[in-house]
Parts: sequence; C-alpha cells; structure tokens
Amino acid sequence: MEIKNFTITKRDGSQAQFSLDKIMNAIVKAFDSVNEPADLGTISKIISHLDIQDDITVENIQNQVEEALMREGFYHVAKSFILYRQTHTEDRDTLEKMRFLSEYTDSVNAATGSKYDANANVEHKNIATLIGELPKSNFIRLNRRLLTDRIKKMYGKELADEYIKKLTNHFIYKNDETSLANYCASITMYPWLIGGTVAIGGNSTAPTNLKSFAGGFVNMVFMVSSMLSGACATPEFLMYMNYFIGLEYGKDYWQHPEQQADLSLKKRTIDKVITDYFEQIVYTLNQPTGARNYQAVFWNIAYYDRYYFESIFGDFYFPDGSKPDWDGLSWLQKRFMKWFNKERTKTLLTFPVETMALLTDENGNCKDPEWGQFTAEMYSEGHSFFTYMSNNADSLSSCCRLRNEITDNGFSYTLGAGGVSTGSKSVLTINLNRCIQFAVNHELNYLDYLGTIIDLCHKVQLAYNENLKELQQHGMLPLFDAGYINIGRQYLTIGINGLVEAAEFMGLKITPNDDYLHFVQGILGLIEQYNKKYRTKDVMFNCEMIPAENVGVKHAKWDREDGYVVPRDCYNSYFYVVEDDSLSVIDKFKLHGAPYIEHLTGGSALHMNLEEHLSKEQYMKLLKVAAQEGCNYFTFNIPNTVCNDCGHIDKRYLKECPHCHSKNVDYMTRIIGYLKRVSNFSQARQEEAARRYYAMADK
Amino acid sequence: MTLAINISNCPCHCPGCHSHYLWEDVGLPLTTTAIDDFVEKYGTNLTCISFMGGDNDPRGVDHLAEYIHEEYPQLSVAWYSGRTVISALINKQNFDYIKIGPFIKHLGPLKNPTTNQRLYRRTEEGDFEDITSRFWKK
Repeated sequence: MEIKNFTITKRDGSQAQFSLDKIMNAIVKAFDSVNEPADLGTISKIISHLDIQDDITVENIQNQVEEALMREGFYHVAKSFILYRQTHTEDRDTLEKMRFLSEYTDSVNAATGSKYDANANVEHKNIATLIGELPKSNFIRLNRRLLTDRIKKMYGKELADEYIKKLTNHFIYKNDETSLANYCASITMYPWLIGGTVAIGGNSTAPTNLKSFAGGFVNMVFMVSSMLSGACATPEFLMYMNYFIGLEYGKDYWQHPEQQADLSLKKRTIDKVITDYFEQIVYTLNQPTGARNYQAVFWNIAYYDRYYFESIFGDFYFPDGSKPDWDGLSWLQKRFMKWFNKERTKTLLTFPVETMALLTDENGNCKDPEWGQFTAEMYSEGHSFFTYMSNNADSLSSCCRLRNEITDNGFSYTLGAGGVSTGSKSVLTINLNRCIQFAVNHELNYLDYLGTIIDLCHKVQLAYNENLKELQQHGMLPLFDAGYINIGRQYLTIGINGLVEAAEFMGLKITPNDDYLHFVQGILGLIEQYNKKYRTKDVMFNCEMIPAENVGVKHAKWDREDGYVVPRDCYNSYFYVVEDDSLSVIDKFKLHGAPYIEHLTGGSALHMNLEEHLSKEQYMKLLKVAAQEGCNYFTFNIPNTVCNDCGHIDKRYLKECPHCHSKNVDYMTRIIGYLKRVSNFSQARQEEAARRYYAMADK
Repeated sequence: MTLAINISNCPCHCPGCHSHYLWEDVGLPLTTTAIDDFVEKYGTNLTCISFMGGDNDPRGVDHLAEYIHEEYPQLSVAWYSGRTVISALINKQNFDYIKIGPFIKHLGPLKNPTTNQRLYRRTEEGDFEDITSRFWKK
C-alpha cells in the first residue's frame, strides 16, 4: 500500500489526517492481547491488504483490518480485535447517554430536554422522568428492527430498506416509536364489571358498591394505561358510576342530593359523597405514574345527550339485568362538569379530557335542547372541553381524537364488545410538505408520488399489525383477550402533517376557497382510496390530522435544514394558519367543515382560540354555525391565567393577577388535546403559543 | 426613490434565496437614529423606505414604520415579509405597502402570474388591496 496524505472520516462526521501509526498500534495491541508474537513483516503483510481511499470511515478501516487478520490466518487475534471494537462501541453508547444525561439535567424543562419524544404532559423534570428518557433510543432501534424484519418477510428487503430510507429522510414519521405498546384505545369496562382486574393481571374482584367502584376504577385505568402508549378513554365512566350510586342511595338519588348520607360527625350529604368520589378519582388519575415515565395517564371521558345515550346504551344491561337510567346519568354528567370546572380554579387538572356528544337536526339545532343549552352554558362558564356533533348517531368521538363508526360494526355488550370500544393500534405519519415539494422539484405529479408513499405506509402498517398479532398469540396483550379492546375495531392510522404548508408551497391561499378545497380533497381522498383498498375483514385504516405536539416542530426543523420551503417553526395541526388574524371564527369553522373533513376518517379537532369568553347565547350561535358547516369536532380555547406568585387561577386571559396584581403570570392553554401550563411545553411550542392569535369576540 | 433596507438574521431561509448572507446575524443595528441618518443623507430625493425582511422581529419593524410616519410624513413605508400571512404583531396602518410570501422557485417572483407572493397597498379607507397583478406583463 502506498502511503499518501489521506483524510479519514471519524465517527462524529469530522475529518482527520490518516495515520498509519494508529492502525499499526491497534494491530500490535490485538496481537499482544492474545500473546501472539508479531514482527514487522507480519504487520506489513496485514496492512498491505487494506484498501484506503480518501474520506474512508474509521468503521471501514476497522472492518478491513478484521478481514486482513483472518485472511492471514490470525483468527484468535481477529476475535480479540472484534471484541475490542465491541467494548468501545458500548463505551461510546454509555458516553452518549452520559452526555444526554447532563444536557437533560441542564435543560429548561422536561419537554425541551427530551430528545426523542417530547411530551408536554410531563410536569416536572426529575430523576423519574430522566429514567424514562434514557432507554428511548434503544426502543426506537428495537422497534425499527422488529418492523423491518417483518416487512422483509412479507414484502422483501427492498421495501424494508425503502421504509428506513423514507423514515430517516423524514418523508414519513413513526409516532410513538419510543414505546412498545399499541397506541390508544377507548375501552369498554364491561369485562371489569364482570370479573374485576384478574384477567389483565390484577388481583381485584368485580366492583360491588360505590366505594369499590371508585377505588377499583382508578386501579383499572392505571393498569390499562400501562399497556397503551397513548390515551385510555372510558366513555362509560359516569354511566357505571350512576349505577353504583343508585345501588347505594336509590335510583332517584339525584332528586334529593341534599339528603344526609352518612352518620359521621361531618354529616355528609349524598352530593358531598359523590363529589368526594369525583375528587378521589380525578386527583389520583392526574398523578404522575411510575409505569408511564412519570407522566399522568391520558384519561378521556364522554358525555351524551339523550339521543346519543339511547343509541349507544339502548341495548345495555348491567349484570343484575337492569338498564342504565338516563335521568340519573343526565344529572350526574352535569354535576361532574360543574364540579370539574370549579375544581380547575383551584388546581391545574389536565385529565380527564372530556367530549360532549350532541345530535343535531337538519337545521343545525340540537335535537336534545336541554343538552345543547347546557353545553353552551358550560362553555360560557369557562369550562374547556370538546364537542362532537353529528346529524345522526352513526359515529362518536370518545377519545381525544378518534372518530368511531358505530353502525357498521354492530355491538353487543353480552359479547363484551362494546359500541364504545375502539382505538388506534399505530400511527404512521406522512410529512406532506416534504413529499409534495420533493415531487414538484423533481417534476413529478405530486399525487402520483404521494400514492407511492401512502402505499408504503399501508404495507408498513400491515407489518406492524402482524407483529401485534404475534404478541397477542403469545398472550402479551391481555386488554384484547379480556375484551377491554376489540382488536377488530382498532384502526391502523395514517397520520398527516404539513398539509397547510404544502398548500402554501403550491401557492394556494389558505382561506375557504375552491382551489384549496380541491387540493385538500385530492390528498385526503387519495389516502382514503388506499385505506379502502387495504381494508379487509380483520384490518381497518383511518386517516387523521395528527395533533403535532412535537412532530410539527421536528418536521419544520428537518425540512428547513434540507432546503425545503418552511413558512413557520411548527407545522399546523389545523386546516388554517394558526397565526393568520385575517380569518374570522366563521372562516375557521368553514375550514374544518364537512367538505374539508369528509375524508378525514380519524378526525381532527378544531381548536377555536378566543381571547375572551362569550355568553351562553353567543356559544349557542356558534354551535349552530358548527352544525351548519358540518364541523363535527371542536373545542373553544381561552387561555386561563395562573399567577406564579400567589397561585390564583383565573378563567380569563389576563396580563395581571386579579388577586395579588402580580405580572408574573403563566397561562393554561390547549395547544394540542391537553390543557397544560404554557411553560411546560417545549420551547418551540411555547413560541407557537405566543404567536397564536386569540380572536376577539366580535369577529 | 425608494431606499431598501435589508434586515439580517432572516428566519425564513427560503431555498434559492438571493440574499443568503442575510440569514446570518450581520450588519449594524437598525435604530431610529440610523433612519434619521438615511433621511438626512438622501434628502428630498427619498420618497419611500422599504424594509426587506425583519421577520425575526415584526414588532421592531412596526416600531420603525410608526417612527417614520410620525417624523417624516412625506415618506411611504413598505415591508417585504417572507411569511405567508401578515404578522399579527404589527399595526398594518403604519405601512403603505406590504409584500408577503416566501420565494418559491416553481411559482416564480412577483412579476410571474403564478407567483405565491402578494403585494398589498393601503387604500385611503385603511384597507389593503392586492395590487400584485400590476406587475404581470399583459
């Protein structure tokens, strides 16, 4: 080998001068380690096998050394060299973890410090959250390996390589790659009602009274959540609670809640007993959880108007043969909302995320006026919750994001497969902005190009599904086996991000106009075509605009680094531009109206940001607007003010604390589904919150 | 005569940007004193001051625009922003012309009818009208 002035590429990507001495030293050391004598002739011979070119990587040189040692017959030495390399690789991994550890401890908050999967839902940064962060990179590697191995078996190596290529080049993004569990689920609690938690590995028997219901419910939600990477929705929560209160105090308890209920010196009323249980359940479930990296469980509940109640629970029977009582439930739902809204002025409570399900008539009026009015009343009192509106009770959003077709599956409680049991097994997101720019820059038809990406996503999701089935066959998924979740009603979800940004790149105006609508329908319609094409009796696909809690920030950053047009630092999770103050409230409802969301089968919630609270009458009008435009899922978001000095919480958006007049205030807002303190969001998200325009009431 | 002031530290980073050096934090601070110096230097020839960029600090641009209108009412003020919507952080009434839109190669610059960029002019009523089509060759 001729010695020239080569440059080599080190592991961190930097360049260094090639040094023959270093290679010779390493080889001599390897010989020494197994007590094999090495003379200059032997070493020269080994080196003569090496093929060194400019910019060669250190890894490549070391691979060649291994081969050269073996070619010369020094198998012991080669083995020692390989082991030496392995030890160094492990050291480097540890060093990297230590570097991460020190960066994490120095970062301003947990979400900014998180390298892989920032979640605003972690309140504090401490040793428990750090323990959760450290193995994340290993999980990503493991998940990719599990998936690519399966893709290879099903579709061949080429497709597996294509998946990794599209993933590492950020055309697609695998959500929750840091967890092994399937994503989120809206569960039926019927199996728990019958058999307690034994079937999912717990030791409690079925609840028999209000007390065992309240205690057991909390345990059950913790257990279920530790087997999911995302949210756990319990849409039957209040319906069951109403049943147990009825067992305790009579079905008509709600007609005399002021009656004394216990013989203690406190002389608690029925109402006090009930709200004490609310307190126990809600506060416990908002605690950081050990099994979930010190995050609280993501707990969602649902409220229903009379029509929704009848269509969902009309065929429901409790184990004693009785039917759910609407009058009691109606009272209890209202009581819970009122209590929760008030409690939120005392403490920052994120969970449960609540969804109100309302049925509307053809004129956009609520079919159950009592509940339509109550919804408007709660909004006007500053309560923050989602509303799901439909003109027939064919679907329901009981999770914070999932829409669920009710009619086409049929449901039967006796089989344990509730009409409320649904969810998403896995989300794979397409970065639309990058895909479309790539196609246009390469003079390809963007829909044709997108078709290849969508097709890839479906195959990858089917591979994931096979892995999940294998886990289930080995008894690893008791939630499915015990009937809490019906695997046949779980979706494989195609997520989208960067839709608005891609439209802007195409020169479209992001307002309710035909060109933009055509663009949106073209893309979402294409995804739905593939969703239908790949649907079988065992697998269903849906499409959702993902709440881009951290993906939107990552995509913007990666795309900008790679020279794509990036109009903002965080891609939108809506059909409109968040910082655009020229859009009216009506425009935003239009942009989340029926023509736009038609193909968005997995749903997307409009977060209507307002600067100040409206009156009940104004909210009634907006509910009608939403119904008329066909915007079926939305929430109103008015930042709540939290005083950092005295702790006072105010439902209004204020610059100064009304209690102690401090200007040191923070805000609680819904940037994604969850209501959290702004200072707990990652830095990029905080910037979005600061820029976000909160529309005035008269708009 | 329009004086175009390039503002550095541009966050937009449009691919194909003709002023790549403005991505960096370079140049001198743009203060009201700097504006005074410019006006003095160019005298009565100057009819308009146009801010090119400044999307990192729309409030700062707004503040300077307000200053110019107060001190030099004879001058028009224009702002070329690389964002896709007019920033909510400015008072539009401080500007006479506002151009928005990043440069997107396949759509072309303002004079191209397929452009995504838009130029607005403030009317006497204080509304902003889109005058982009005036730049297109008939």
